[in-house]
Order: sequence, then structure tokens, then C-alpha cells
Amino acid sequence: MILIAIVIGCILGAVIGIYAPMVPYTYSGYLAIAIIAALDSVFGGIAATLNKNFNLKIFVTGFFGNAILSILLTYLGQKLNVDIYLAAIVVFVGRMFNNLAIIRRYYLNVWENRNSKKTVNSNEKAQ
Amino acid sequence: MHKKQIAITLGIMCLALTACIVIQLKTVSNSNTTVSQSLKENSLRDEVLKWKEKYDNVYVDLINSTDNLERARKQATQNDTTSMAKQQEITLNNMLLGLTEVTGPGLEITLADNNTGLNKDGSEVLDISSQIVHNDDLLQVINALNNAGAEAISINGQRVIQTSSITCEGNIIKINGQRISSPFKIKAIGSPGLLSGSLNMIGGYLYYMKEDGVNVETKQVESTTVEAYNGIISYKYIKLKK
Repeated sequence: MILIAIVIGCILGAVIGIYAPMVPYTYSGYLAIAIIAALDSVFGGIAATLNKNFNLKIFVTGFFGNAILSILLTYLGQKLNVDIYLAAIVVFVGRMFNNLAIIRRYYLNVWENRNSKKTVNSNEKAQ
Repeated sequence: MHKKQIAITLGIMCLALTACIVIQLKTVSNSNTTVSQSLKENSLRDEVLKWKEKYDNVYVDLINSTDNLERARKQATQNDTTSMAKQQEITLNNMLLGLTEVTGPGLEITLADNNTGLNKDGSEVLDISSQIVHNDDLLQVINALNNAGAEAISINGQRVIQTSSITCEGNIIKINGQRISSPFKIKAIGSPGLLSGSLNMIGGYLYYMKEDGVNVETKQVESTTVEAYNGIISYKYIKLKK
């Protein structure tokens, strides 16, 4: 159910994106930051699901809140002539790597457990 | 119920995310930037693109205001013969200055670089440069066209006016400050036969270019449209002599 919704959402989003008008180049930087923030939330959500402490409210507010906040900070940075977006990229990408590491470790664990079970089973059979 | 809610929320979020990503990809690929290794180069290119966008926006504004001005003038002069005459004079002057699009019979010339490196008889060319269209060639062609009585000339959409310069900028040519490149489409309004004859006759400039192996095409047409000059004519030094 959830998987189907995600796939349909992605396909519809791609179609809408193809037919949507283009963003002026001046604002494409803001959109890029928002995308990075949203991607970070998505990976965070996946990692939370694996740890079984996924909370929809936190996920949704993080998704939109982080995106909007990063846009606002980038805008502020441009006004103050400080490249705040660099800080946003460092933070979000750093967290993305963390979350990816959590996901990787989880699946590595699953894989190792299955392998050890298999060897135990084959040992039992041999005996 | 709870699961359905989660599914719908996640679907909507995925929709927003992928839509944003696709729009961003489209924008980036459209502005045809190659990401360079050096940060400075990237930010400079960014700056240029932003200014270009601003310029385009302002230019659209300018065109709109010119239209508005024209309409306002027409309305104001509707019931007044003296101002109507003045209005006509302004229109005529703008036409002569090259600030309006004009049509008429004339000649369409296409000059394109010959990249094959072969002469007309199939032998290899000694000097490849002779088969490339240079700014001198364009100047000579325009000179010949003017000599034959051309009344309006444009190259690749750039109107040739009294202050136009045609310069060589490496592998491109600059006219009116705008960069153009091969193939060059020259449109001239005047007597088609006269224009064509002055260039294509034996000893005419295009005759020599054809002999050199440049791709030359001329077409006499009943009606061609020469674009308006899209810059601003400003004078700083000239004054009327008292």
C-alpha cells in the first residue's frame, strides 16, 4: 500500500515536473537547497522506519519545514553576503551520509544473520 | 485508516519531491552550464546568467512599453490633423532609423563555413581559413549591397544601422554587440535583380567567395522581412550647429 503510493507519487511528480514551467535561473539555487533538505528528510524517514521509531508528524514537518527554512536561510545569506547555503549543504549532506550508514548497517546485519542461520542449518543437516 | 493516511501523505511528498527535482533538472539543462572545477568560474557564470535573465526581462518590458506608447500616441492623435501628421513623421523617422520591422522585395543571402576542407573540384584546400566566413566578408557584402541601393539590411536578425560595427571575436563575429556565428543569413531590401547582380556578377564579391569554396546561397524574393534594431541609439557628443 505505502510502496504503491510512493511509486504513484514519484511517477505523477515526474510527469508534472516535465510539463511544469521552468524556474528562472535566479531561483534555481533556492530550489536546489530545498531538494537537498527534502532528500535528507526522506533518508531520515527510512532510517527511522528501520529503527522502528518512525513518526509521521515529525517526518512531514521535517520535510516541509527543513525545505522552507533552508530557502529562507539561503535568502538571508544572499542579503548578508554570506554563503549560508554552504552550511546548509554541509549539514544536510552530512546527515544524509549518517542516515545512509544506518540503513547500510541495518541491511548488513540482516544479511549476516541470514547467512549464519544458513550455515547452522547446513551444519545440522550434515550431522 | 491509519495506514491509508500514511500512504497518501508519503505519496504527496514523493510527488512534490520528484516534481521539484525534475523542474530543477530541466532548468539546469536548459541554461546549458557545464559545472567547472573552480568555484570562482562557476559563480562568475552564475552571475552572467542572472544578468542575462534580468536583461531579457527588462527587454520584454521595453517592448511592452513601446507598444503602449504607440497605442497612446495613436489615441491622442486620432482627432487632430496636425498631430496626426507629426505621428506619421515619427513613424517614418523610426523606419528610417531602423527601429521598426520593415518588409519589401529584396535578396536573401546565406553564407556558411565550408567544413569539408575540399575545393570545388574535390582537391584538398591549402588554406582552410579561405573557406570560412570572416567579418571582412560580411563587411564587403554589406558594402556591395549598400552600393547597389539596399534600403535595409540585417544579419542573423541583427539590423545594420548607422552605428553598427562588425568585428571578429575569435571564432565568432560580433555585430551590434551581439554574438553571431555561421551560417549567416543576410536579408536586404532593395531591387532584387540589382542586389543579386552586383554581388554575383563575375568579379562581384560573392563570385569570389564561391570560387574560394564558401557555401553561398542567394535568393531573390518578392517579400522579405528585415528585423528592427533592438538596441538603444544614444548620442553624447554630436550637437546641432548653430
